[in-house]
Amino acid sequence: MKKAYINNKAYEINNGETILSFLKRYMGDKPVPTLCDAPNLEPFGSCRVCSVEVALEAGGRTKTVASCHTPVQENFHIYTETESVKRLRKNIIELVLTDHPLDCLTCEVNGNCELQDVAASVGIRSVRYPEGKTHLDREKDLSHAYMTSDLSKCINCYRCVRACDEVQGQFVLSMAGRGFESRIIKGMDTSFADSDCVSCGACSQACPTSAISDIFESKSIVSSTKTRTVCTYCGVGCNLEVASTNGNIQSIRAPYDAEVNSGHTCLKGRYAFSFYDHPERLRDPMIKRNGTFEKVTWDEAYDFIVDKFNQIKATEGPDAIAGISSSRCTNEENYLMQKFIRAVVGTNNIDGCARVCHSPTALGMQRAFGTGAATNSVEDLHYTNCMMVIGANPTAAHPVTGARIKQQAMKGKTLIVIDPRKTELAKYADHHLALRPGTNVAVLNMMMHYILKENLHDQEFLSARTEGFDGFKEEILNLDIDKMEAVSGVDREQVRAAAIAYASAENAMSFHGLGVTEHSQGTYTVQQIADLAMITGNIGRRGVGVNPLRGQNNVQGSADMGVQPHQGAGYLDVTNPDINKAYKDFYGVEVPSEIGYKIPEMFDAALAGQLKAIWIIGEDVVQTDPNTQKVIKALKNTDLVIVQELFMTETAKYADVILPGASFLEKSGTFTNGERRVQRVNAVVKPVGNSKVDGQIIIDVMNRMGYNQADYTPDGMLEEISQIVPFFKGISWSRLGKNGLQWPVAEDGTDTQILHTETFKRGLGRIDFFPFEESNELLEHQEEYPFILTTNRNLEHYNCGAMTRRTNNVEISTEDLLWINPADAEAKGIKDGELICVKSPRGKVDIKAFVTDGVKPGVLSTTFHFPEIMVNNLTSDVHDSQAMCPEYKVVAVDIRKAKNTAFRKAGELVD
Amino acid sequence: MSKNISSLSGRQGLENNLFERISERPDKETLAALAEEFLVGKANTFGAVTFYDFLKPENQGKEVYVCNGTACLCAGTQEKLQQDLEKHVSADKIGHMTCLGRCHENAAFQYNGKNYSNLNEEELSSLFEQKSLPGTDDYIIQHRGTPVLTGEYDKNELFDLIRNFLNQNSADVLDEIISSGVRGRGGAGFPMGIKLEGCRNAAGKQKFIVCNADEGDPGAYSDRYLLEKQPLLVLIGMMAAGYVCGAEWGVLYIRGEYPESVSACESAIKELTDAGLLGQNINGSGFNYAFKVVTAQGAYICGEETALLSSLEGQRPEVRVRPPYPVQEGLFRMPTVVNNVETLAAVPYILLNGGEAYKKIGTERSSGTKLLSLDSFFNRPGIYEVDMGTSLNTVVTELGGGFKSKVKALHIGGPLGGLVPLSKINDLSVDFESFSQNGFLLGHASVICVPFDFPMAKYIEHLFEFTADESCGKCFPCRLGSVRGQEMFEKAQEGSYKIDRQLLDDLLETLEQGSLCALGGGVPLPIKNALQYFEEELKGYFE
Repeated sequence: MKKAYINNKAYEINNGETILSFLKRYMGDKPVPTLCDAPNLEPFGSCRVCSVEVALEAGGRTKTVASCHTPVQENFHIYTETESVKRLRKNIIELVLTDHPLDCLTCEVNGNCELQDVAASVGIRSVRYPEGKTHLDREKDLSHAYMTSDLSKCINCYRCVRACDEVQGQFVLSMAGRGFESRIIKGMDTSFADSDCVSCGACSQACPTSAISDIFESKSIVSSTKTRTVCTYCGVGCNLEVASTNGNIQSIRAPYDAEVNSGHTCLKGRYAFSFYDHPERLRDPMIKRNGTFEKVTWDEAYDFIVDKFNQIKATEGPDAIAGISSSRCTNEENYLMQKFIRAVVGTNNIDGCARVCHSPTALGMQRAFGTGAATNSVEDLHYTNCMMVIGANPTAAHPVTGARIKQQAMKGKTLIVIDPRKTELAKYADHHLALRPGTNVAVLNMMMHYILKENLHDQEFLSARTEGFDGFKEEILNLDIDKMEAVSGVDREQVRAAAIAYASAENAMSFHGLGVTEHSQGTYTVQQIADLAMITGNIGRRGVGVNPLRGQNNVQGSADMGVQPHQGAGYLDVTNPDINKAYKDFYGVEVPSEIGYKIPEMFDAALAGQLKAIWIIGEDVVQTDPNTQKVIKALKNTDLVIVQELFMTETAKYADVILPGASFLEKSGTFTNGERRVQRVNAVVKPVGNSKVDGQIIIDVMNRMGYNQADYTPDGMLEEISQIVPFFKGISWSRLGKNGLQWPVAEDGTDTQILHTETFKRGLGRIDFFPFEESNELLEHQEEYPFILTTNRNLEHYNCGAMTRRTNNVEISTEDLLWINPADAEAKGIKDGELICVKSPRGKVDIKAFVTDGVKPGVLSTTFHFPEIMVNNLTSDVHDSQAMCPEYKVVAVDIRKAKNTAFRKAGELVD
Repeated sequence: MSKNISSLSGRQGLENNLFERISERPDKETLAALAEEFLVGKANTFGAVTFYDFLKPENQGKEVYVCNGTACLCAGTQEKLQQDLEKHVSADKIGHMTCLGRCHENAAFQYNGKNYSNLNEEELSSLFEQKSLPGTDDYIIQHRGTPVLTGEYDKNELFDLIRNFLNQNSADVLDEIISSGVRGRGGAGFPMGIKLEGCRNAAGKQKFIVCNADEGDPGAYSDRYLLEKQPLLVLIGMMAAGYVCGAEWGVLYIRGEYPESVSACESAIKELTDAGLLGQNINGSGFNYAFKVVTAQGAYICGEETALLSSLEGQRPEVRVRPPYPVQEGLFRMPTVVNNVETLAAVPYILLNGGEAYKKIGTERSSGTKLLSLDSFFNRPGIYEVDMGTSLNTVVTELGGGFKSKVKALHIGGPLGGLVPLSKINDLSVDFESFSQNGFLLGHASVICVPFDFPMAKYIEHLFEFTADESCGKCFPCRLGSVRGQEMFEKAQEGSYKIDRQLLDDLLETLEQGSLCALGGGVPLPIKNALQYFEEELKGYFE
């Protein structure tokens, strides 16, 4: 055991650690004062107040060193409180105070200022220097929707600059000038608003004073209550620390000890919370009478619903009722919703938003491995040598994971991006395969062709752990490369190089998003990604695997809980008689064994007059499901539409009954992130107005329909779930602790970071060959509609935007824009910022042009966050052949300059 | 220092070098485009250019740069020079450079990419008429002892030397350098062999040899001598270092104040190329080597090796923490050897004569020879090479020929070196140990005379001011302390303020113990020397 001494007492040292981390381990969080040090930043060594004296023998000659960047060595004798270092610290702080305003009492961070703390701890009583030059006259920057700066308070510790670089990777902040005149700049010495700032707030959290802050004054100590919870905005599952006073939320910061996000989060998690008490929040239940919504009591609403449900059940049978659960809700609520539909209504007509995003992932990975979830953890980025990102734009949609991938790529780890668009990550990629939308299968087959041709496959792994390789091999070696190159539009040598990079990396891991799943061949593509991992042996250890980037915060959890028509809680097959019996015994009632409707089938059934009632929780199907006008017709044709929502969404407008649900800040439960991590969500405030926790609403209806279900508590619900969902066996509310557990969790509480280490869930991994097939959308319509539109989302907005559009995010991103290549724009006579009329076989919309080489000629791209645009008027009925996930990514359209220069809403354009 | 920017800059490498690109056209539009091209922030390219004297917006468009180095200041020539220049150029077109290395005759300035010193009025007029004059850069070059660096070397003999060592096992070449005991001549005195061994053993896709030719110490021009008169010695030293470490690139980072050094090195590189001694598979050895000459843009701190590396990467040249040491993670985060010009220039002698032969020169712990540069207060200003251990008195009286006018102290080893009163000259010999034992620092061994009538308070203020001007601004003690020190002495000289001695001692201790690098950490030495040896002169300024 190697030892070093702290103030003459011996302690064990770790290899390579700094003196500061050594001291912290034994002396607590603040063994010596620090200013430039921060938990999530590299040692920097600028403030020097962490200095200690070090001797090589007890009582020997000492040297003064900065503890933050000096590695501890065996037999170091470290002295933390000698007269000399105490004097040094005090003298440094005295210098700092010669150029710092002494207005602590009125300062935003009074009581929570690191400079104030350090000054107090070193005992400054006066500043002895004669009056000299200062920078106290610097002006505040209040230009931005969230970020603020007051650089007269800046102590030049560079923490903001380093956070912007090392944590977010945005490089908005730097220093200008040198020496005494060096100062923080944004961009080329511009304001926050005019800079390339992505508002992640890492700089504000990093700043030890109030030099950089935000409009919520998140470092002030006005708020006394701090609640730890999990973000609602994506599948990364960032932990948040929410500050509140008297039931009002003040601000949010990211806890440094969060395993998922280590002190970082994005502008949605950190700043976009003010929707929760927005004046437009639905505060009372409402029933539509004579075309207008009228406020009612909960009892009235429940009576209305229960009467209708009972009546429809009696006359049309339970299969005339369907439910769409919400991936924004907790596991417990999703479990309850599927239980309600199955055990109380008596149908398997339950589905969720996974249908329109990652249903092909769940299905494809179940087919290949036996488990439809990420095989590894985001943490594995530290252990991988090659990252392949396909059909995903994580810097916008999963910003913390995106930032972590970008950090690795910038530092030289191999990055392969397969995406039609030049995404942020594509700029940093070693290999960017900018394929034509809809040709993932062609490109992945080309990659696997070259891997086998180059003999880079892992025969040992294939023989021991997989089946189906021989048939696959024959097909893939006969691949028509000329044809695949032509359809995908990617040079074969580029594909070959990427294939070699992936296959020859010691550890390669893939991340995929909706650019993989939302295609007619979505499930097949997921299986191909699994094939790629298996033929190269990249599965079952650190730094490898297949890792879907789950979209909504709890889309993993909603599927885990049984929100799909063919599998109940825990992915158990509803058609299997043994399983049916198990469910029946557990729920204490009969449950159906026929597979129910998937979401698109619900709409078809509604149009055919077979579906009479639908209960939709937290999902704006009108704005976000494809072919808007069809969805509207389907809802209009359903007798009872119940919408449980936070806001009057486009879908809610078509409801018969509106139930005001609660936001993530108002309820407790658990969310499961994209790496199977079940984390505790803790209510920060009470539900606004008369709104209710969604789980309780479901329970209220269950009870009124004669099923006895105890009131909603997260621990009680988890206990029930752990008894039916096999991989939740060891999960309990108390065991989850601060950082949650990754399923499967064994009875003794052991969780699982990496799946399939020894065997696959299904036994042998299944390898299949899938030939490329052109989407019907293009086969049928391409001649008349020669452009391909692909939809996606941006950093500032979340899905239908109901929440983010009710925050200052809307000041940063004000509208949906249509990306168009400069060549296409020129050919059509369209200038940047002009309105384009986009027409598909389903409808047309006007969107403002954003002329960019981010898309190739012939390809267009836009987001779907704004109901004013309603992009899904354009999207089609084509679905993934296996999982029925809509093909949002390939829409045949034609464009022309809009006739009107003034914007008109989509509805007004519909023929 | 940003690891990300190091790596991103490294993607483009030396061939498309971010620092050179921002130096070429430091306008905002170009800087924005470069940020895009190199995938860094606009704040980074803009922030970097604002660091450098020659690039920062307020200094763009100057025609003439007047030297404001210590030697010219002490010589008192610059006020008149400024007046004379203003007859030809408007005052707003006149900027400053800190030490052009013309300390042997002073009245130095740069015009049209060339340095001039001590021109009379007639010569000045014809310079501005003709835009250029033939160089008049004469100084004495002499040695006492072994001429390791100032000897006359036959070019063909040197070319053969390259062919010879490329035929040897690189481990044997390293052994010769280790056995020579040669220590770094930039000031720190770190053994070169150990540095090379560290780099040789480090893993890296690429490795680099960087010659620190940013001789920024006012008063020093011995590196300038080597770069301009003996460039092959430097280049061959770099090649041998590359061969030992497995580095294929040699980078010369030469200060912009030395335009003639840049062109001399470029010519020497061409000679090597023409002789087939550069490029791929040199002389059939399998060894590849290329040189890159980079012109610095005016920042003293770039003489600090980690700041230099950040500069080369196009980052702001702020001092990095160590570890990682450059041999582990240097330029573009690859193993890198940074050596001073004079250290590298000793290598050909070592390889021609053997490490043992070099080891025999000088003292036990300071082997070899040392160059000293003497300023214009000496009767015989110039560059002198002496064996380590030679008495300082020999240099001052015998070689330098004594002083032209009365002098009260010698500032040896640059602004961070010791201030040696005349009374101590006889106690010192030219080697690392003698100087440090006596409370001074050999440093790079430039010698500047402080004239007898030059007020010591003004000299101290000058040292603080120099530090404040050149501080990178990263560490708190140097950024703030240098300014506060300068202000104290400025106010004290104005008479409005008496210095609190305890406060000054606290400040010096804070700089010395707390600073991140040798700039803030080093400036207290000459100031403490001044306080000790000129106490009587200074006491009126204190409380």
